[in-house]
Amino acid sequence: MTFLVRTKKKISGFLRALFKKRTCRIGIYGPPNAGKTTLANRIVRDWVGDAVGPVSEVPHETRRVRRKEDITITGQNGNSITIDIVDTPGVTTKIDYNEFVEYGIEKEEAVKRAREATEGVAEAMHWLREDIDGVIYMLDATQDPFQQVNIMLVGIIESRKLPVLIVANKNDLPDASPARIKSAFPQHPVIAISSLEGINVEELYENMTSYFE
Amino acid sequence: MPHKCTQCGREFEDGSTVILKGCPSCGGKKFLYIREAERHDDVLKEKTIDEIARDTGEDVLEVKPDRRNEEIEVFERIESIRILSPGSYELNIEKLARSDEVVVGLEKEGKYVVDILSMAKKKK
Repeated sequence: MTFLVRTKKKISGFLRALFKKRTCRIGIYGPPNAGKTTLANRIVRDWVGDAVGPVSEVPHETRRVRRKEDITITGQNGNSITIDIVDTPGVTTKIDYNEFVEYGIEKEEAVKRAREATEGVAEAMHWLREDIDGVIYMLDATQDPFQQVNIMLVGIIESRKLPVLIVANKNDLPDASPARIKSAFPQHPVIAISSLEGINVEELYENMTSYFE
Repeated sequence: MPHKCTQCGREFEDGSTVILKGCPSCGGKKFLYIREAERHDDVLKEKTIDEIARDTGEDVLEVKPDRRNEEIEVFERIESIRILSPGSYELNIEKLARSDEVVVGLEKEGKYVVDILSMAKKKK
C-alpha cells in the first residue's frame, strides 16, 4: 500500500515538475521580533483573506516554518506574480530560555520554547538552502542593523545568489531609522514599511512583482 | 637575570611576574635577558635595543597570551549547535546554512555529539 502511495506521489510530483513551473518561493527571513509573521499575515490577508500564524511580542513566537501557497500579488503598475510565502522562525545565534522567563513564561515551558526555537532556526536554514527562490529580509528599523547575525545571514543569502528585498519594518515608531538600514545594505533595495499599520506595503508589493520574477 | 622590553626598553627585575601580561608600559610581548652590567645600556651607551639584543646574544623571551582566554569565534567552531545548558543554545548559522549535517557541542569545550545519519545522506 505504502508502495503504491509512494509511487503515485512520485509520478504526480514528476508530472507537476514537468508541466508546471514551480511557483516562486519567497522566504521571509530576519532576526526574531522583526515582524516577519505580521508581514506574512498581511500579505496573505491582503491577497487571499487568510492568515499564516499567530504573532506576539515574545521573541520566537514562530518556531516552525509556515508556508502559504499560490498567492497572486498585483502591483499598481499591473504586473502580477504568483508566489508561495514562507514565513520562517527568527534567525539568531543565541537562544536562552531566560529570555522567555522574563516575559512571564514558566521555566519548563520556556526551556521547551528555547528548544523549539533552536530547531526552528535549523529548519529555516534548511529551507534557505533547498527551497527558497527569493528572500524578503525583514529588519526592525528601531534596532541596530549592523548586528553580526544580519550581516552574516544576508551574506549567506547573497552567496546563494538569491534576490533580496530588505524591509525596514516598524516604521510607524518614532525612533525608526530606515536610513540606517539603507546604509547597512546599500547593495539591496530597502523598503520602509509598517506591516502592523499597513504603511507603504503597496510599494513593497510593487517591488516584489518586479524583483522576484 | 633582569629582563628588558624589546619594544620600549623598560627593565624588569629577574623573575618579575608583571611581564607575564606584557610590558605594563607599552604592552610589548617580547623581552630580552640582560646582564646586570648591561642595564641601562640603551641610555648610557645610546644603543638601540636591537643592538643590545645582538650584542648580548641572549634569547628573546616571548610572552604569549593565554590561549584558553581567547574567545573562539562561534562561527569557526566545528559544531552547528552548542548546548550551553538545558534551554540555552548557541547556533552556528553559517554551519547550518551549509549543510544538514549536525554536530552538537555539549557544555564544555571538547565534548560533541555527531549525527552520523545526517552526514551519510546524499548531497544534492
